[in-house]
Amino acid sequence: MVRNDPSEKGATGFLPSGGARVASMRWAGRYLPVIGMPLLLAVALLFTTWIHPSFGAFDIQSLALGALPLAFAAAAQTCVVISGGIDLSVGSLIAVANVLAASTMQHADFRQALLLAAGILIAGAISGAINGAIVVLSRIPDVVVTLTTGFIWGGVALLIMEKPGGGAPQQFLDLAAGTTLAPWLPNAVILLIAAVAVVWIPLKLGRAGLLVYAVGSDRVAAFRSGVGVETTRILAYTLSGLFSAMGGLALTMTTAIGAPLAGVYYTLSGLAALVIGGVSLTGGRGGISGPVLAAFVLTLIPTDLIFLNIDPNYGQVIQGTLIVLVVMLGGFVTVLRNRK
Amino acid sequence: MRTSSKLLYASLFTILLSVAGAYSARAADKYVVGVSNTLIGNGWREEMICSIKAQALASGVVSKVIVANRNAGPAEQISDLRNLISAGVNVIVLNPSDREALNPVIKQAAARGIVVVAVDQAVSAPEAYVLSNDQVDYGKAGAEWLFKHLNGKGNVVEMRGIDGVPADADRHKGFTEALANYPNIKVVAMPFTGWALNKSAQQAKDLLASGKQIDGIWTSGLDAVVVDAIQTSGKPLMPVIGADNNGFVGQLITLKDKGFAGAAVTNPPSVGGAGLAVALDVLQKKGDHPKVIKITPEVWDNTSDVGLATLKRNYDPKLDPYYSMDYTVAPYTTYTKDQLLACKGP
Repeated sequence: MVRNDPSEKGATGFLPSGGARVASMRWAGRYLPVIGMPLLLAVALLFTTWIHPSFGAFDIQSLALGALPLAFAAAAQTCVVISGGIDLSVGSLIAVANVLAASTMQHADFRQALLLAAGILIAGAISGAINGAIVVLSRIPDVVVTLTTGFIWGGVALLIMEKPGGGAPQQFLDLAAGTTLAPWLPNAVILLIAAVAVVWIPLKLGRAGLLVYAVGSDRVAAFRSGVGVETTRILAYTLSGLFSAMGGLALTMTTAIGAPLAGVYYTLSGLAALVIGGVSLTGGRGGISGPVLAAFVLTLIPTDLIFLNIDPNYGQVIQGTLIVLVVMLGGFVTVLRNRK
Repeated sequence: MRTSSKLLYASLFTILLSVAGAYSARAADKYVVGVSNTLIGNGWREEMICSIKAQALASGVVSKVIVANRNAGPAEQISDLRNLISAGVNVIVLNPSDREALNPVIKQAAARGIVVVAVDQAVSAPEAYVLSNDQVDYGKAGAEWLFKHLNGKGNVVEMRGIDGVPADADRHKGFTEALANYPNIKVVAMPFTGWALNKSAQQAKDLLASGKQIDGIWTSGLDAVVVDAIQTSGKPLMPVIGADNNGFVGQLITLKDKGFAGAAVTNPPSVGGAGLAVALDVLQKKGDHPKVIKITPEVWDNTSDVGLATLKRNYDPKLDPYYSMDYTVAPYTTYTKDQLLACKGP
């Protein structure tokens, strides 16, 4: 696709051309974004088992539980960022979904809990759509709009539940917290793959996905090609709201309670996972698997610090360093990909 | 291009190696202590962790203290606790981010013979020991002193902590209980300071400039900035309730001559060290401890002779304004003040 893009030809003219070396570099440029994240996660896991040889089913379960809400937060952010926007209300929406679930499911049975979960997912999607509609109709920058709605949802979460509490039926919690198939295969992982696939695969295969990428790459060009830019952007925010609601439900499953302040933390962490996962903040480039896997890598950092007994304040330093390295590597890959 | 990518891999590898180098072997005959905390960059919490390290050193039976410390919510604390279990600790001292959410993982820890002590705030898991300052009493004792000092009449401000946090809710409960006995005391403002100094200072300035009649201020521990704000505003010094923070203790002593009345209610961070002492007793089967231990806060006022003497005894001009001066919890902690200040574990 890139080779057919006339706009990128001029930029690569000064680079040396010809030879197997360039071909292999171009290969790396094309496939590194695809294999890079699984590779990084594999390295992180190998490193963890090396420093902690007894790493086993219990630890895999810890990892999956820790990463689940963050993975959904990263997925939510990914939808909007690929469409060329940003959503700073992800964390607060997670908080609202979390307290809403925990307060309504407390005395529900499993079937009712599932119905309530479906309702919360719909409500999440609607909230996301409202975000998108405000951004599109008011033409106020998305940063401002979502920051503001983020504050509003943060307040709503506190109004629903002043302090931590509530609960959900055990069967519902086990959807993430259990290990039904095998001790080393937590339900959280299956749930995550299923939930992301159900939303993402139809999007990627259908026309809507193409439009989201088109709008994110170049809004003006997309508009001139007849793409409904406004509806596409609203769609991206709607999906963000849906994934945020999933994050809130995941938080309920992994903690078994609602906590009005717990979700807020995921806005920035989700963005970190997104950047490490290879999604371009300028829009139009990246996939959903990168950020989701990055959530697992980010969750492993504090784990390794505990195993190594290192001052945990280094956790932020390591996370920051990782982001810078990945972004640098991303730029490097772009240069390679454009080589002819 | 090639050199830069080599450099990248080399630096990555160096980071990995240096991280691995810090990994040290564990002594077999002594206990390993895990600490879980979810609020960083907070002076009180840092002092709490220091008190755990100091007590670990003073006890002589701890080989290593592993600290899991980051800004996070219950979901992250659950994974921190699970990681501490994996790391093979014998004791977990935690400041819980939630009362209920950690119960399943505490149960798992207890099943593996790990002694779990929640300090500062409670957890509801029956397996865990809970050692905390009585926060309801904290709110009540300070409020009662203030209302009594105002002769049961006047306008007060309640400067709270973080909305949605158990300690804040408990202190507010105590404050409200005290208020019920004083019908002529009116609460004119109830801002949430977020336990942040800059925010608290701004709120105090705004309130003082608002033109409202304010006769006394109750704070949830961010005290010295409020006294500073009153002084800057040029208004007469109204009574202020704070905590046993060094700076505020100093103000209570030095501003007494200018007519400043107030009281410091103790909220010792050394509940951390005390919690560890209890856990080590349980591990070594030395004596019985109840599962729930409540520390009753003391009120150090500058209007009584006893209170003033206590304030003067605890004040240390060399230390930070927000260092908590009630640094031991009798009869549990055994470290010295120097050990606490050094903040070094075994």
